[in-house]
Formats: sequence, C-alpha cells, structure tokens
Amino acid sequence: MRETPLSNCERQFLLKGIEEKKRLDGRQTYDYRNIKIAFGTDYGCCIVDLGKTRVLAQVSCELVAPKENRPTEGILFLSLELSPMASPSFEPGRQSELLVKLNRLLERCLRNSKCIDTESLCVVSGEKVWQVRVDVHVLNHDGNLMDAASIAAIAGLSHFRRPDVGIQGDQVTVYSPEERDPVPLSIYHMPICVSFSFYLQGTYLLVDPCEREERVMDGLLVIAMNKHREICSIQSSGGIMLLKEQVLRCSKIASVKVSEITDLISKALENDRRARKEGGRCGFAESMPVERITVLKSDGAQIEMSDAEVGSEAVTMATESQSAEPLSEVGRVPSPVVRAPGAVQVGECLQNAWGLGEEEDEDDEEEEERLEMQEDNQRPMKSKSEVVVISDSEEEEVVILHPKKTQVKDSKPETKPEAPSKKKKKKKQPLH
Amino acid sequence: MKLYANHRKNNKKKKKKKKFTQVHVVYQISMAAGFKTAEPLEYHRSFLKENCRPDGRELGEFRITTLNIGSISTAHGSALVKIGNTTVICGIKGELASPPNDAPNNGYIVPNVDLPPLCSSKFRPGAPGEQAQAASQFMADIIESSEIILKEDLCIEKGKLCWVLYCDMMCLDYDGNLLDACVIALLAALKNVQLPEVSINKDTDLAEVNTDKKRRLNIAKHPTASSFVVFDDSIVIVDPTAEEESLSTAMMTVVTDEEDRLCMLHKPGGTSLSGEKLQDCISRAVTRNREISKLINTVIQSVKTHK
Amino acid sequence: MKSRLLGSTMEVDGQSTLSLREFGCEQNLLSRPDGSASFVQGDTSVLAGVYGPAEVKVSKEIYDRATLEVVIQPKVGLAGVKERAREQCVRETCEAALLSTLHPRSSLSLVLQVVHDDGSLLSCSLNAACMALMDAGLPMGCLFCGVTCAIDPDGLIITDPTAQQEKNSRAVMTFAIDSAQRRVMMSSTKGSFSVNELQQCIAVSQRASEKIFQFYRDSVRRRYSKTL
Repeated sequence: MRETPLSNCERQFLLKGIEEKKRLDGRQTYDYRNIKIAFGTDYGCCIVDLGKTRVLAQVSCELVAPKENRPTEGILFLSLELSPMASPSFEPGRQSELLVKLNRLLERCLRNSKCIDTESLCVVSGEKVWQVRVDVHVLNHDGNLMDAASIAAIAGLSHFRRPDVGIQGDQVTVYSPEERDPVPLSIYHMPICVSFSFYLQGTYLLVDPCEREERVMDGLLVIAMNKHREICSIQSSGGIMLLKEQVLRCSKIASVKVSEITDLISKALENDRRARKEGGRCGFAESMPVERITVLKSDGAQIEMSDAEVGSEAVTMATESQSAEPLSEVGRVPSPVVRAPGAVQVGECLQNAWGLGEEEDEDDEEEEERLEMQEDNQRPMKSKSEVVVISDSEEEEVVILHPKKTQVKDSKPETKPEAPSKKKKKKKQPLH
Repeated sequence: MKLYANHRKNNKKKKKKKKFTQVHVVYQISMAAGFKTAEPLEYHRSFLKENCRPDGRELGEFRITTLNIGSISTAHGSALVKIGNTTVICGIKGELASPPNDAPNNGYIVPNVDLPPLCSSKFRPGAPGEQAQAASQFMADIIESSEIILKEDLCIEKGKLCWVLYCDMMCLDYDGNLLDACVIALLAALKNVQLPEVSINKDTDLAEVNTDKKRRLNIAKHPTASSFVVFDDSIVIVDPTAEEESLSTAMMTVVTDEEDRLCMLHKPGGTSLSGEKLQDCISRAVTRNREISKLINTVIQSVKTHK
Repeated sequence: MKSRLLGSTMEVDGQSTLSLREFGCEQNLLSRPDGSASFVQGDTSVLAGVYGPAEVKVSKEIYDRATLEVVIQPKVGLAGVKERAREQCVRETCEAALLSTLHPRSSLSLVLQVVHDDGSLLSCSLNAACMALMDAGLPMGCLFCGVTCAIDPDGLIITDPTAQQEKNSRAVMTFAIDSAQRRVMMSSTKGSFSVNELQQCIAVSQRASEKIFQFYRDSVRRRYSKTL
C-alpha cells in the first residue's frame, strides 16, 4: 500500500505553524512527547511508547564461535525491523532506505560506542562466546523512530539477563534459570539518540518530530549521547548545512534530554526489579491501562462442563454406533493389485495414466485388451500409427536400461524388436 | 452420513453402478464442456446433487493409488506415489552429522516438500511458495506427532555421531491432494531405506562405513493421511482433485496411525464443520489407513518375492 | 468404551483444570492501522494490526473479493516455516469469517506481532486477529475465537495451557470456533490422541468459546457505552 500523500495545504499549514512556534500537538519546540517504558515478563523484553510511536525490543542470546580476529570478545547483534503493522508503506522483508539508515544508526549508537562489556561475554576463548541479539520491532510509526528504538534497545539490554555458565574441563554447562540465577550484562554507559528536525534551511528546529513534522522537514540531525555528556555518534542527513553554533546548541539540548531519559529508564528498571522481588505481577498484562473504554479484562473463567460432557459423549456414542458400519467394512478394504514387482495399486474407480497392468483388468477396456494382445504377440499393428515414432536404437536403449524385465515377465522374449507404443512400453518396465 | 451412503452398497451392485455412472458422465461431459468452463462451481454442484463427481467417483471414494518403491537407485530409500494424476516422488538420503546439543542421543529427520513449476502452472520458479512451506511444516509435524521413527534409533554414538535423514518429496504432477500422496511416499520410502552400518573406530576416532552390511529402519508407527474438502459449507468429499480444491470452501486432512489414533487433524480454516461431520471423516480416514497399510505391505512383499 | 470415557471426564471434573487464564484485550491502541488490538491470555500476548480495504497490487487482485494477507512476526529472528503454517491457519479462518465479497479488488492486510509466548499462542493470535478485524469495522459473517486444549500424560484435559504445560503434555490441539453455530473452523494439532479425546476437546473448546464470545460482547458494549 502506498503512503497517503501530504497535500500542499497541509504542508503549508504545518510550516506556518512551525514559524509561529506552534506544533500540531501543542508541544513547545524542545518538548519530547510522553515516554512510557514497559517491561515484559521475559528478561530483556521492553516496549517503548514515544507519544503514539511504539517500539518493541527483545534481547536474546546464544552460544556461538567468536569472530576469528576477536577470539575473546562476545558479539552484539542488532536487528531493527519495520513491521508492516507500523505503516501501510512498510512491506515485509523489504530493505528500504529508511530501514538501512535506522539499522546503521542503531549500530553506531550501541555497538560502536562499546556500551556493553563484550569481553565478559566470552566463555571459552576462541571457541564459545555469547552472541547477544537485539531485535527491535517498530509497531507504530508516528515519527522519531530512531529515538524510540535506541531507548528500547538500551533499556532491553539493561533489563536482560543471560543464563549462567559453568566450565568443567572442556565441558560447558548452561544452567537453567531454576538452577542458577541468570546474570545481567555489564553496561558501561547508556547511549541515547536525540533527533532534531530542521525547517526552512535550518532557521527553525524541533525536538522529537512526529510523523507529519518529519514529512515536511528539510534535514535531520541525530545525536547519540550518554548521561556523562559524551557524544557517541552524530549524524546529519537530508542535505542541509548547519552552523557550528547550531550543532553546539543541539548537543546542549541533547545532554538535558538524555539525562532526563536515562533517569526515566533507571526508574522503570527499578520499578520492574521491585515488582519482581516482591513476587508481584509484572509484564505487559499489568501495564494495560484499565480506565479506558477500549480495554476490557476478564479474570480467569471456569468452564462448566456438566452438559457439554453429555454432548461430547453423544457425539462419540452416536458416531460409534454409526462407525460400527464403516468399521465393519474393514474386511472390505480393497486388496491392492501387484502391477509389477515394486509397483502396486489400490482403488477401484478410474484408470490412471500410468496404465500399468492391463493384464489384470482384461474385462474392463476392450481397447486396452487389444493392445495388450498385440504386445504379447509382438506384432505391432495399426496402433503404431498413432504413436510417436520410435527409432530402433531407442528401443534397445530402453531394453538395456531394464534388463530385469525379462526375468520378471518370463513369457516374453529377451528383446522386443518393436512395441506398439512407447508410452505403454515404458510403463511396462518394472521401475528398479 | 451422506458421504458413505453409496460407499456401503455391496460390491457387485457397485461394479454395475460404476459403469452406468461412467456412461452418464461421458454424456454429460460432451454436453457440458462449455457449462464446465463458464460455471465450474455449478457444474460440480450438479454432480454432487446426484452423489457423484465429474470423474465418476462417489463422494467417499479415493482415486486409484499406485505405489512403487525403490524408484531412485542412488537414494538410500525412495518411493513414487500416484493418486489419480497427482504424482509425488520421495527420496531419502542419509548423512552423518553430530547430534543436537540439547538431545545427544537423537538423530534428525528433515522433510522438505518441493512444488516445482513443472507440476502445475500455479507454481512459480524460485523460492518455495506458501503451499510448499506449509506442506513441509505439515510433514515435519506428522513425523513429530506420530513418532514414525524413534529419533534415538538414528543415533550411532551418543553425543558424537548420528544419522540425518533428508526426506525430499517432489511433486511431479499436481492434481490435488498433495498431502496424502506425500505421507504415503514418505512412509513407503522410509520402509525402503537401507543404511550402511557405521561404527566409530576406537583408535582413530573416525567413523567407518561398512557398505556391505545394510540395515533397515525401525518404523514405529504407520501414519496415513486422508484429505477432505467441503463444498457449499455442507457436502464433504474425499481425495479432491486440483479443481475441486480450488472450488471448495474448506480443506481438511486427517492423519491416523494403525492403532486408529489420530496424529493430526489439520484444518487450516475455511467453513466450519460440526463434530459429527468430523467423526465421519475420521471413520473414513481409519478405513483408508487399512487400505494403505495393505498397499505398502503388498509392495514390499512383491519386491521380496521377486528377488 | 463408555466407562473409560466417563472415568476420564470424572477426573476432569475432579481437577479444576478446565479454566481459562485471565484474559484481556485493548482495542484501537495503535494510531496508524485501521484497526488494532492486543490480546492477552495469562502471560501470552499478541498484538494485531489491520489495514484495509485499500488499493491492491495488480498481481494479487481477485476480481470478486478482497485479497487478505496475513503476516506473523516472531519476537526473535525472522519469520520461518512455522510462522508460514500459522499464517495460513489464521488467514483461512479470517477469510471464512470475513464477507470479503463486499470489497472486491481491494486488499486487506493483517499483521500479528508476538509480544510474549507463554503457551496457547495460536489461539491468542486468532483472538487478537478477530478483535482487530472488529476494531477495523470490517463486515464479517460471524466472529471466531481460538481455544487451545492440552492432554497431559494422565489423560486430563487442560484448557488454555501455559508453555510449560504444553511441553509436558502428550497432545496439544487448537481449534477456532465460530460464533454462529459453535462449530470447528480451524483445527491444528500436535501429538497423537484418540478419537474420544478429540471429541471431548472439541466439546470443551465449544464451551470455552462461549466465555470468549461473552467477553467480545462485553468489550463491544463497554466501548460503545458512555460510562466505564
């Protein structure tokens, strides 16, 4: 499905609003939309809502062989997916420009900034290391996917716990969560992306653009930064020229936003930890808002089966009495007919195109019978005319291919000079 | 029980009736070639009303099933199955591998169903389409659910060496009811498998293959599938042709083993069926299982006696 | 035969295994899709989004009805053959329920995202799909719901099993039941079982479907009422 195009009026309206420092949703220029972070019951599962943009991240891990040039380092694998749910223009499995760009940015933000300790993921040097995989699914696209994805990924990584391993000799045992508590990853710092969109050749700037605002922007600047105000990556796209002062101003704004978001993530992690410790309920089912008319929850329901049993019994009993008849037919199961050694046939309706075994069904098709006789008498007759012309050499080839034929049908001579039909003849051969 | 009303009639009568329907059909076809092209669904309905089908079968009747084993000499086991015009060939190749980490005394069975463009114009070359993938998954599920072979039997040395059986099923001619043909082909081919004896040399720690000594697989269960399609939300017919499949409102495949237990009741959707109708289908599937067991036994017997 | 049957149902009654986990649903939670729903059964959770009826690609156009595409996104990794098989089940069930002839030459697409798998995933996907189709306001001939039953090694039936229960059981069956006649629209099974067990599971599922259909009804009523 194609994206609905933005009309010129809409475009002008949006730009006019930006000039007057007004945004569609009533935000100020430097405001973020509401951020909501929810963790699942699995470790490393996190849903981030940034306004209406929604992103799901799931962290998982497996033991793999390390890369040859880095035998003592674990691997961090990032994969961002634009689910067709997020926007009608996203097609499943298509490598769009946007997808490549987002994946590259996420890699630079998380992997190249070395935010997790990959050396602690090594199990046996040069043989087995943990590969930590982060799957980010975009579920609803309402602009600023990059910020939402980076928050979800880093929150997921901080929430994730990998199974503990024990090494005895060269035997590696992976302990299940029941045997040993899983271990969290060691996170050095939390890089978070902050996006700035520019309008009218960089005259106006907005933080956290929504989808409509992204569609009218001239350029985008993404700064990945941690709360120590260290820039991890910076990228400007869209082909606008920015002044040094503008970049510096943006990085100052980013540092404020990053520290706010980092606090939010820590708070969410702390809440989840507390809920788990107290044995309380956690997970998405709990984070569902109850006070909405679109939401309904039902407590577990008991199923009364008293009369349903009778129903099921009736069905089985009734069918048992019925099935008594078909089952008594078992004796009537048609006996298979051996057409040739290794080729057997069952069924009594139609002839199939294989045409094996005309010998048996003599009373069925007179024509077939006639052909049969011709073959037995080795006298190719008029049927030859309706047949594809066969050369003698091919005939011999066929015979050579199936030397066993003569053993099987001993009534027939060693070689046949000609056969009535090529098709027929081939079918006569036992398929060994 | 409409399905079996005619099916249960005694044999002699049936033979007569068959001839009659065939004549009847020939007449109808000559009259109705245009009707069939213009209104295929109406055309089928007019037959179903009379409890028969355009090809002369009754509602609960399978097409002629032909089975040939040992068709591919280079494979460890093979079988060719024809149900009417639908043709499926299955070749099984055993390879040596190290067992899975989480189950060190298991082997692997890897089924794959291929629907190449040669079998029907509705398949395109290239990556397997949805139907081929669904069929492969269906075969994997049957192997898993019915425990056709105990995976422990495929282990040669615990944690070190095991067999991988690659079961490739290829459709050569698609005329409906692919799954039934695949299941028969797989079972017959597995029964046909002869694997060389393999041992691990204690000194060199290498596998040694003894091609003179061959062993057969131990087949634990004999599942067979029976497919049904539903016409007009109510009429159930067995063993559909490709045309019947495309006109039907629902499809269903029942897999039973020789102890009459169900291994699979696969109905991917479509119009709904009541418990009673399902029961009818299961009963037919049970009878079909007997037919196919007999078929496979006879074919194996025939090969043995001719050797 | 009869005594065995009665025996097993007695057992079923004795244990209170015949229950559904708590379930909940949120509709219209995503802004982009035309209809969306998240369905939660215990810890299992599936998010569904529906787009359409909309323009269809020429290659996929069907002249007398809408083309329905179903995509299931697993949580980790790319969709494989297993997802394809599930997609087929969900698609054909939806096709039977939807009155797609009302929108010829158009496309409907349903995307399901697995959020958490703790057993009964296929039934949760079906329920999420049905709620999302309802939210999108697409015309349907009937509603449908999914129910999963497991048979444990002792022959007890467990409805709506968790992942652990599914793993320990010897057979797992998922049925889609329609709301009009409570008949079986879809069936997908794993493991081997007797005919009796199957019929019992169908009966149980039909019973359980009533609870879910009641839930559908309540959620629609709540949505169109002015009070919470």
